[in-house]
Amino acid sequence: MLSNRASAGLRPASAMVMRAIFLFFVGLLVVLPVVAISLEAFRSGFGSLWKQISHPQALAALWLTLRMAMIMVVINVVTGTATAWVLVRNRVPLRGLINALVDIPFAIPTVVTGMMLVVLYGPHSVLGALLGRHGVEVVFSRPGIVLALLFVTFPFVVRAVQPVMMEMEGDMEEAASTLGAGRMRTFFQVVLPTLLPAILSGAALSFSRALGEFGSIIIVAGNIPMRTQVASVYIYGEIESGNPGGAMGLSVVLLVISLLTLLVLNLLQQRSQRHAATI
Amino acid sequence: MRTLCGWLCLAMLGLTAGCSGQANSARDTLILGAYTVPKEVYQRELIPRFQKLWKQKTGRDIYFQQSYLASGAQSRAIAQGFDADIAALSLEADIERLRDARLITHDWRAAEHRGFITRSVVVMLVRPGNPKNISGWDDLTRADVDVIYPSPKTSGGAMWVVNAIYGSRLKQTEKDTGSADPAAARRFLAAVQSRVRVMNKSGRASVTTFETGVGDVLLTYENEALLRRQQGKDFSLIVPDATILIENPVAVVDKNVDRHGSREAAEAFVGFLHSAEAQRCFASYGFRPVNAEVTGEFAAVFPQPPQLFDIDYLGGWQQTIDLLYSSRGVWTRIFEQKSN
Amino acid sequence: MRPQSDFVPLSLRQGVPMGRHLLTGAVLVWFGLLILFPLFGIARETLNYSWETIRATLHSPASVHAFWMTLSLTVAAVMINTVLGTISALVLSRQRFFGKMLLESSIDLPFAISPVVAGFMLILLFGPNGWLGSILERVHVKIVYAFPGMLLATLFVTMPFVIKEILPVLREFGAEQEESAAVLGADNWQTFWRVTLPSIRWGLGYGVTLTIARSIGEFGAVLVVSGSIIQKTQTATLMVHDQFTDLNYAGAFSAALVLALVSFVILNLIQYVYRRKGEN
Repeated sequence: MLSNRASAGLRPASAMVMRAIFLFFVGLLVVLPVVAISLEAFRSGFGSLWKQISHPQALAALWLTLRMAMIMVVINVVTGTATAWVLVRNRVPLRGLINALVDIPFAIPTVVTGMMLVVLYGPHSVLGALLGRHGVEVVFSRPGIVLALLFVTFPFVVRAVQPVMMEMEGDMEEAASTLGAGRMRTFFQVVLPTLLPAILSGAALSFSRALGEFGSIIIVAGNIPMRTQVASVYIYGEIESGNPGGAMGLSVVLLVISLLTLLVLNLLQQRSQRHAATI
Repeated sequence: MRTLCGWLCLAMLGLTAGCSGQANSARDTLILGAYTVPKEVYQRELIPRFQKLWKQKTGRDIYFQQSYLASGAQSRAIAQGFDADIAALSLEADIERLRDARLITHDWRAAEHRGFITRSVVVMLVRPGNPKNISGWDDLTRADVDVIYPSPKTSGGAMWVVNAIYGSRLKQTEKDTGSADPAAARRFLAAVQSRVRVMNKSGRASVTTFETGVGDVLLTYENEALLRRQQGKDFSLIVPDATILIENPVAVVDKNVDRHGSREAAEAFVGFLHSAEAQRCFASYGFRPVNAEVTGEFAAVFPQPPQLFDIDYLGGWQQTIDLLYSSRGVWTRIFEQKSN
Repeated sequence: MRPQSDFVPLSLRQGVPMGRHLLTGAVLVWFGLLILFPLFGIARETLNYSWETIRATLHSPASVHAFWMTLSLTVAAVMINTVLGTISALVLSRQRFFGKMLLESSIDLPFAISPVVAGFMLILLFGPNGWLGSILERVHVKIVYAFPGMLLATLFVTMPFVIKEILPVLREFGAEQEESAAVLGADNWQTFWRVTLPSIRWGLGYGVTLTIARSIGEFGAVLVVSGSIIQKTQTATLMVHDQFTDLNYAGAFSAALVLALVSFVILNLIQYVYRRKGEN
C-alpha cells in the first residue's frame, strides 16, 4: 500500500507502455471473457436466466457441490492444521520428504487423481471390496467426491498455516504455559486466534477451488442428476448438449459465490497483515 | 539473465517455426471428427486401407487427423469451429445440428444407404456367467440389479439406450393390450433410471466404469459389447427381444472441405466407407453392415431381434428429442418427480 | 521454508505426553491414506505391465506428439506469464490510475471460475460465431480447436500465479531502491535488472513452478477448446484420459506415471524455490 505513493523511477513514456501491456494482458485474458459470458447470460433477460438457474437439476447440482465442498473444508481445516503442526513442531522421521510430498496434489493432473481413486477404491480393488462388504461405496458416490476434493485441495490449508506457525516459534505458547495455562487453554486462547486468519484463508482457497473442480470429479463421481452430479459436471453437460443458457446460468452463480469467498479472503489477509504490522 | 532472455526468444521462434512447418506440408490431409466407439475400426482398418487405396488411385499420400469425442460433444465442437472435413456421429440429430449451423449444405440423406454407414442394436452386457440371472428389460428394475449407461446430455449412445428402454415398453404394451401406452413407458423408464449407478460422459467411459467392477448390467451398443468380447473379456451378451435399431450417419462437412480444398478426398473416403470392403471391416468389429451383400455374409453373427423397432417408431429424432430430452422432456423430468 | 527449526518446545524437553504422539500418529496415517496410498497405487498399476509394453505405448507417434504439445503449451505459458505477469505486477505496484482496484481484483477471477466455464468463454469469444472469432475468421486466423485457443485457456487458468506471488514482494520492497538507483543515474532497464529483478526472483520462481504444474495438468479448459484431435491438439493429460476410457490401462498409467514423475521434479523445484523465498 505504501508504494502507491508515486509512479517511481520510470519515465512517463515507458510507464504508459507498461500500463498498455498490462491492460491488454488482463483485459484480453480475463476481463473480456468474463464480460462476454455475463452479457450473454443476461441477454435473454433476467427471467430466463432465473429459469435456468432454478431448474431442479441445476439447483440440486449446486447444493450438492456446496455441501461436498463444506465437508471437505471442515476435514481439511482440521487435518491441514494438524499436518502443519506436525511438520513445524515435531521431529518425525522423513519430515523433509513428507513436507515435499504435501504439494503433490498441485502437481498431479486432476484426471490422474480421478483414475487413481477409481483404481484404488473400485469394487475390484482390495480396499474397495473390503469397504463394499460393509456397505460403504466410495467411487461413483458421494464419499468419492469428497475424497477427490480432499486430495486436490490438501496443500491449501497446510501451506497457509505453516509459515504462520513457524513465525510463532512457540514463544507465545511457552510463555502461556509457563504462566500456568493448561494445554487446552493455551491452544484455544493463544494459538488458535493467531492461526485463524491463515486457516480461514486456506479454507477459502480450497472451497473456491472445490466449486470448480472438474477433471477428477467427472471420473470418480456417478454424475447422476439430482444425486451425484456436481455443478461443474452439470455445466459441462449443458454445454455439450447445446444448452449454453443452462451452462451460463449456473456458471454465473458459481462465479458469484467464488468471488464472494475470495473477497472475504482478501479482507482477511489485509486484516492479518495489519495485525502483523501492529505486533 | 540476459542469456536466459535470449534463450527464451529462441525457443519462441522455434515454436512458431514448428507450427507453421506443419501447416505447409504437401500431403493431402483429412480431418475426421467421430464419436468414440468406432475408434478402433477407423485406426486399425479403415484409415490404413483407404490410405493404400488413395495412393494407388492418385499417387499421393493422405494423412488423417482424428478426434474421437462423445457424439453430442463432437457435434457441438464441429458446430463451434472444429474444422472437421468428415463428421461420423452416432445419430442423425447430431448431423442435423451441423446442417442447422449451415456447415453441411447438401442433402446428406440422399447419399447411399440414406447416409448411414453402420447399424447396431442396444444390448445388455452382464458379468461373466450372468450371476444376477438377467434375461430382459424387466430385470433392470429389480432392487438387486445396478444398471450403467452414459449421460444422454453428452453421449449419443445413451440417447439410443434411453430410446430403447422407453420404446421397448411401448412395444410390450402394444403387444399386451393392442395399443402403446406412453404412461407405462414413462413409469418403466423412471424405474430403470432409478437403478442407474453411474452416468459417464461417453459410451466408452461407461464401459471403463463397468470394467472396474461397478454395476451388474451395462446398456450399450452391440458393437461395443462385441469389441470387448473380442478383446478377451468374458462378459455375457444379451440381445433383448424388443430393442431399437441404431443407425449411425456420416457426412462430408461442406463448409470445411471447401475451405480446405479437400472435397475430393473427403467424398472418396465417405464413398469408401459404403463399399463392401469397408463394410466387412465394420462387421468384423461388431457393427451391423448397411450394405446388403455384406449383411448376408454376416447374417449368422447378428441375430435379428423379433420385436426390433427403429427411431420412426418413436416419431423420428426431432419428436423424440422434444418428447424425452428437452427441458420438460420425459427423461429430464424423471429426476424432478423423484425428488418431490 | 526452514526445514530444520532448532526450536524444541518446552513440552518436548519435559518428556513427551501421550496426546502429542497420538496426534502425530493420526496425522501420519491420514497423510499416508490420502496422499501416499494413491501414489503407490498408480506405481503398482504401471508395474503390472512389461517394460516393453510401456516403452511401446510411450513411443507411439500419438503419445510423443501429445507430450510435445504439453511441453509447448507449458513453455509458452511460462514465457508469457513471466514477462507479462512481471510487467502487470510492476504496473499494479508502481502506478496509479482509474480502475486499478477493479483490475487488480479481477486477477482473482481465474481462481473463481471453473475451468470448463473458462473453456466455454473462449469459445463464446473466439468461436466462428463469437465476438472476436467472426472477425478473425475473415482473416483466416484459427483460435479455438487449435494451439492459440489452448494456449489462451492455459494462460487463463495460470495467470494469477506469477502476479499473485510477486505483487506482495514488490509492495513490501517499495519503490525507494528503484528511485535511488535512478537518482544514481541508472536507466530503467538497468534498474530493473540490477535492483528490481533480484528482489522478486524467488517469488517469480515459485509462481513459475506453480504455472508449470498447472499447465501440465489442466484438463477441463483444454478439453472444451481443443477437440482432442490426435497428433494435433491432444495434450498428454487428454491422452491419458482417452486411453483410460479406451481401457488401454498400460498406456494410461505409464503416461500418468511419467506426468507424475515430472510433477515430482517440479514439486522439488517448488520446495527449493519456496525455501529460498523463505530465506530472502
